[in-house]
Amino acid sequence: MSRVVYDGTPIEYEPGDSLAIAALRAGQHPARGGTLCLAGDCGNCSAIVDGTPWVRTCQTEARPGAMVQRHPNGSHPSPGGPEHHTQVTVRHRSADHVVIGNGDSGAAAAAALRSEGHDVLVLDEADGDEVVGVFDGPSIIVRRNDGIEHFHVHHITLATGAAEVHPVCPGNLLAGIFTPKAAAKVQAAGLDLGNVVTVGAELKAFHGEGRVSEVELVDGSRVSCDNVIVNLGSAPRDVLARMAPLVPVQIVGPAAEAHALPAAPQEGVLCPCGKITVEDLDGVWNKGFHDLELVKRSSLCGTGTCQGAVCMPHLRSFVADRSGVEPKPFTARPAARQVSMAEAAAGYHIDTFRRTPLHGEHTKLGATLDKFGGWFRPWNYGDAVSEYWAVREGVSLGDVSTLGKMMVSGPDVVEALERLYPNHVHDIKVGRSRYVINLNERGHVLDDGMICREGDTRFLLTFTSGGASTAEMWVRDWVETWGLKVHVLDRTVSHGAINVTGPLAGELLRRAGVSDDDRPKFLQHRHIDVAGIPCHVMRLSFTGEASFELHHQIDQSVELWQALMELGAPLGIKPHGLQALFGLRLEKGHVIVGQDTELDSTPRRINMDWAVKLEKDAFVGRDALIRTASLPDERRLFGFTMDGPAPLEGSVIRVNGDVVGHVTSSWDSPMYGHAVLMGWQKRLPHADVVEIDGREARVSAVPFYDKEGARARM
Amino acid sequence: MPACEPPRFEGLVGWRIIADPSALDAAPWPAGSHVVRISPDDAFVIGAAEPGVPGDEHAIVTPELGFAGAAVSAEQVADIALHHIEWQMPTGPCVAQGQIAGVPSKLVLHADGSALLLVACAARHELEDRLG
Repeated sequence: MSRVVYDGTPIEYEPGDSLAIAALRAGQHPARGGTLCLAGDCGNCSAIVDGTPWVRTCQTEARPGAMVQRHPNGSHPSPGGPEHHTQVTVRHRSADHVVIGNGDSGAAAAAALRSEGHDVLVLDEADGDEVVGVFDGPSIIVRRNDGIEHFHVHHITLATGAAEVHPVCPGNLLAGIFTPKAAAKVQAAGLDLGNVVTVGAELKAFHGEGRVSEVELVDGSRVSCDNVIVNLGSAPRDVLARMAPLVPVQIVGPAAEAHALPAAPQEGVLCPCGKITVEDLDGVWNKGFHDLELVKRSSLCGTGTCQGAVCMPHLRSFVADRSGVEPKPFTARPAARQVSMAEAAAGYHIDTFRRTPLHGEHTKLGATLDKFGGWFRPWNYGDAVSEYWAVREGVSLGDVSTLGKMMVSGPDVVEALERLYPNHVHDIKVGRSRYVINLNERGHVLDDGMICREGDTRFLLTFTSGGASTAEMWVRDWVETWGLKVHVLDRTVSHGAINVTGPLAGELLRRAGVSDDDRPKFLQHRHIDVAGIPCHVMRLSFTGEASFELHHQIDQSVELWQALMELGAPLGIKPHGLQALFGLRLEKGHVIVGQDTELDSTPRRINMDWAVKLEKDAFVGRDALIRTASLPDERRLFGFTMDGPAPLEGSVIRVNGDVVGHVTSSWDSPMYGHAVLMGWQKRLPHADVVEIDGREARVSAVPFYDKEGARARM
Repeated sequence: MPACEPPRFEGLVGWRIIADPSALDAAPWPAGSHVVRISPDDAFVIGAAEPGVPGDEHAIVTPELGFAGAAVSAEQVADIALHHIEWQMPTGPCVAQGQIAGVPSKLVLHADGSALLLVACAARHELEDRLG
């Protein structure tokens, strides 16, 4: 005989034994107690097998040297170690008709479908295809020994049969209790159940120490025994059918038949997964939870590993007894069988984080890269403060390739943009640009960016890096809704962009072959060669200094970057990362949509009414802004200054001890030697002095730096 | 692990055209170019020569260097579909678009089952890592 190790003790098994049968052969319960169905329906035989918890030992064939441990008494097992989190192969397959279950009814259903000319795939646990989930789609998740399979199917027939009903009464967690089919399996394996008693609805309680030694019947009599077979009938094995209520699943055979509910439970553990008792259910019932779903959610009965396979008939009977109405079964959640984290994650990927064409340059320069707005971006190049001073006093490069960029063209483009944006568009001259915000229908700020006019019927729009991915949908959706003729092309991943910024930015461009006459003035944009590379140069400023965004084809990004770094070396050029940029723009009072704004921030709340022209006939959000303009509004974004180190972003802002808002942006300003911040006050009257981190902070007008905006125009 | 060699990508040179569908249908494409019709109003014309779209004066015609492409055999397509594609693969010739290994991609499927696999250059590294 071969051996497995159960709780550190070698036990022998016969060929073909499951681990549960092997345990029973050694005189042990495979877990710690509870009715055994040996059909995979309940979790009463679950144990840790070779380090993986929640394995149903009745469904797991014994193999030499298998290490089995019972779950800890009274608590859940820890997840398996790293060795159990290895990658699991996933295969995606398609099928027309899938029949789950190859018993009599499944085989008949498959035969009938094939006779009608359908292509039919039959999945059955006995063949190693363990269906663990049914999802909308429809799709079916199947666990096999060699990995996970995702089936994309058109029609599902469920022929999973019926499960035997477990007893609910005092003592039902003892060892030595079997359903009739489980007892038959045990006896077929050659095990002697000794003095075995068979009971049905007359059962009242089990008695014994660790395992059953007496059965008490409703008439008060007691019967001594070694093991008990409990025959309470069966219930549909419908966990998979209850998983995706929107999926049209055809149920056949015993799984589709009506089964009488057992008598209402009076005492004992009703949900063996969560050890939830009838007394627990009485507690939630008395609190007023009377709907089956509410009883389930408030007691957690039915949310365990079997998803109601064991407790459902009793729970329905409990509710029917007390309410007088027999409730329908509740929804089940995947997985129908326990799966490992690796199995659950098979085939799923983390979000794609894109790289700019300058990724390699940043790496070479020693940048610390971080993930922002769906991109890898340089956080700093080792010294954010020196990067800051390069922008304020010299010249610096920033990789802004991640900005959203969109070409729009067409006979109706001006009309479309006038309706999209709250600012005027028609009067933007060719070669000029304008800052704009985007609003939704409720007047809340979605994003911001620039409009650059390229021709009478052609514009380039920019958006924030984080907003770029939804910008195209936003523009297309509105243009199609209005039925306007506008072509839209997202250029975000096709165009690189380098921001040349600082008081010496103009000098660097001069050294790169751009004459003073060709260099665009503030809010102008031009197509010119820079260092011999065709660029669309936009003059604007986010840092507060003179800035030129050089937009170009991505295959020339590295060449342009390297040329500018080389030409700028005598000027002390340094690249800057996001850490410095966030501080620079904060000193200038520029908000970052999504960081300084909230989902319901209106232009008024962020002090940007100036970017809204309510005199326009129509634009997205106009009606909402007009309606809310006359309403009192306590929320305002403020600038603050405070001594000492800058508080963490997200810090609470208090007035007289009461929370009134939080810090959205925070920076130790090298320029001023104190912290500059932005944050919300959401309660009137707005205070001039607030408390942050137990320190005093004073409201300060923004921008903190260069209030006249002269430096951006240098 | 995939049984086939992973795709080998290279940057593609071409033109992107957004125009009225009827104008794109009638456009005379430069000789030797390969046209990928991404949507009714959107064409990616692979090739160096600048195409024209006479039927639409507002058409956007601009260089497109944002895609990397890999020629994949029918066997590679089947392997990729088996392990990395959650959606049902259509039969070529056609353009299929969706996530491959979680990365937004396009498959220009040919009649013989082979394909041109397209991905944005910005996400090329992710797709290479995940297919490799």
